[in-house]
Amino acid sequence: MSESLRFVSDDLQLMAMSFMALVYILRIRWLLKFKASRDRQAPSENRDASSFKGIVYSWANIAMPWSMESTRRMSFFYIQFVVFHLTMAANIGMSIVIPYAPGLIRPMIVVRLLQILFAAACAIGCYRMFRRLSNPAMRLISTPDDYFSLALLTVWSFVSIFAAPNRPDLGEGLLMVYFIMTAFFLVYVPFSKISHYLYYPFTRFYFGRTMGYRGVYPLKRVTQPKPTNR
Amino acid sequence: MAQNARSRKADKVVERMGRKLTRQMVGSLVGCVHCGMCTDSCHYVLANPDDPTYAPAHKADQIRKIFKRNFDWTGRIFPWWVHAEDIRTDADLEKLKDIVFGKCTNCRRCSLNCPMGVDFATLNRMARGALVSVGIMPEGVAIVSKDQWEVGNQMGVLPQDYLETLEWLSDELENEFKDPAARIPIDKMDAEIVYAINPREVKYDPRTISDAARIFYIAGENWTMPSEGWDMTNFGLFSGDDELGAAVAQRVYDRVIKLRGKKLVLSECGHGYRSTRCEGPNWSGKAVPFVIESSVLTMLRYIKEGWIRVDKTKNKEVVTFHDSCNNARSCGFYEEPRELLNLLVPDFREMYPNCAENFCCTGGGGAMSMSEYTPQRLKSAKIKADQLTATEAKTVVTSCHNCVDGLSDVIRHYKLGMKVTQLVNLAANAMMIPEKVVVPVEVPIPAVALPLAGFKILVVDDEPDILTFLAAVLEDQGATVIQAVDGEQALALTVREKPDLVTLDLSMPGRNGGYVFEEIRNNPEITSTRVCIITGKPELRRLIYERPVAPPEGYLDKPVNEDTLLTSVRMILELKHPHGNA
Ligand code: SF4
Ligand code: SF4
Repeated sequence: MSESLRFVSDDLQLMAMSFMALVYILRIRWLLKFKASRDRQAPSENRDASSFKGIVYSWANIAMPWSMESTRRMSFFYIQFVVFHLTMAANIGMSIVIPYAPGLIRPMIVVRLLQILFAAACAIGCYRMFRRLSNPAMRLISTPDDYFSLALLTVWSFVSIFAAPNRPDLGEGLLMVYFIMTAFFLVYVPFSKISHYLYYPFTRFYFGRTMGYRGVYPLKRVTQPKPTNR
Repeated sequence: MAQNARSRKADKVVERMGRKLTRQMVGSLVGCVHCGMCTDSCHYVLANPDDPTYAPAHKADQIRKIFKRNFDWTGRIFPWWVHAEDIRTDADLEKLKDIVFGKCTNCRRCSLNCPMGVDFATLNRMARGALVSVGIMPEGVAIVSKDQWEVGNQMGVLPQDYLETLEWLSDELENEFKDPAARIPIDKMDAEIVYAINPREVKYDPRTISDAARIFYIAGENWTMPSEGWDMTNFGLFSGDDELGAAVAQRVYDRVIKLRGKKLVLSECGHGYRSTRCEGPNWSGKAVPFVIESSVLTMLRYIKEGWIRVDKTKNKEVVTFHDSCNNARSCGFYEEPRELLNLLVPDFREMYPNCAENFCCTGGGGAMSMSEYTPQRLKSAKIKADQLTATEAKTVVTSCHNCVDGLSDVIRHYKLGMKVTQLVNLAANAMMIPEKVVVPVEVPIPAVALPLAGFKILVVDDEPDILTFLAAVLEDQGATVIQAVDGEQALALTVREKPDLVTLDLSMPGRNGGYVFEEIRNNPEITSTRVCIITGKPELRRLIYERPVAPPEGYLDKPVNEDTLLTSVRMILELKHPHGNA
């Protein structure tokens, strides 16, 4: 492995990650400076209501596609969401594994699985870009950051397909591109909408706390009976 | 500098926004990923598929861009990149007004469907409040807010009109039951329930007040309506004006405290319930020192505990139920109304979606008062109309006055031929009227104070003649007398009314006097209640004194005469005997 590849896969990543962590700390400090409002009303008349239940339900909501009408209705979109986010986590994991524990991704089965995931994420990214451009409501709400973040993740996933085998001996170019992109991604993330995962625990915590306290969460509903063919 | 280019009003709006931002709101402002999952949850979007400006995320972005430009450094450094933009002119404010008031009913349906937990309805309310603070709002909002600030209720009902309405409703009630006790008590002190209503009931739907009064009367409830602070609705919820919200809620709370009411019961109104029960303490920054509940829960309890009996076959129509957004989606109040409805009607058909996922009646968020947006409101109501039609019901029941108006408009506009009613109307209609109604009788205090004036005495006997005799003697001496015909009722009234004295017959069907006596002594809440046993079976005396509790304060054998009764009662109440012998 050349010195430049070692540098981009190791030192550069550490620098980028430290930068990301620093900005995140500042960002959380900034968010915490705003006062959290409280629920002063008496507990809900619903005896089962509790803030704790609401918070847990709210956090777990993302893993319960049946809990929201939107995810029930857009199940294909939900599956894409799961695959896309798992892939991004796997990709970050791979960028750490390659320089520090390369043995973990040596088995061909692992490489192939990662490649399948990256290819899927790449396809989902392309589809989402198409959706963002073709759907008038999506176009209207999209910012340059939305387009750029999506494009960045899609291209990164694409490059990752070729970086997954981790074979610098066959040419370092793609690995260099992969690590430089990863470093750029880490530096860009705190300024972009990709940092939503940082806010997710907060938004869902507060929403769940109120909804749980008031007995709205966990949601209950009366489902429509399936039409029977008589 | 962007700030310098702003109009004075725009400057104030931004400044107010900065003051009102909470951590929850900031989370919602920075957390949106523009995924579009919430888009189809909004009835405006569904009814206007060709107009993307109705998308909740787009509407939220009109607030978000101001936030980003002024409070978030990503928007300060790269405004174009994240669509950050300042608000500069009064025309910009007007445009924002048309979005936050005219394109959203604050129904919170999109909030519930956002995977990120972005609560747009809360942001929208905050933006409304910022605009209202500089006088930019629909005319209707300005009028209603003014009435609520100045007259004390949002429909500008004058005190005289309110009291006169209660007066003639009382007359009707008294006539109907041929009972002078069948009236609406006003400003009664120490009542168990203080009942607050929506001014719409006084103005357009007094039937709901008289139906509630009939239910309270038949239940024998110790209740009252306040002469002031009776409007439990709160336009602060709609206008986003937290100061108005706090003042209106506090007005109601203060009145209950002044009357020393034990519980505040709210008539059926979604936004009134949310404002008074849930948000009021948050706006005023203080917890409320008494219980607040919806009348739905009160009625449900009356039926379940046997205070009133209902015959559901009296409500023959096929009904469906519309959940008010404020009740269901913001307060989790959707199971109890269904439970009550199932006790009141034989044929109830659900509407889909329902509970917290129900669609807004389209008249929420104060939309009924904003006539300039009526055409777009009624267009968006197509979703509600389809939902109603699909139930095939002829009557839609709702637990909200605002929804009654909203739904009536939808029904009229889409010619659905349905009628709208409330649970209180169904309950009153289904109620079975007993031959004898036991009510806490309040005797007017005469100018010359009588010896038992100010004392509350519960007389318990299963024989109507004796009950009448005891009550008459004690009332003649100025006592407030409550009557109970069995042990069950005696215990309930003792807990509820906390009388100064209970005269207790021992031999009664069901729970006998001995049992009641021991229960009183064992209940820490009422253990110190003074008890005078009055029995026709002196042989039972031993059983009373052998109980492992403190003995009764007095004991009389039947038949008891007026003098003996009064002497004993006065001794027990530690009053000086008229003849001086303690
Ligand atoms: S509000 Fe929520 S659901 Fe709607 S676009 Fe934003 S993140 Fe997606
Ligand atoms: S709160 Fe209701 S009306 Fe407003 S945008 Fe969301 S879904 Fe639409």
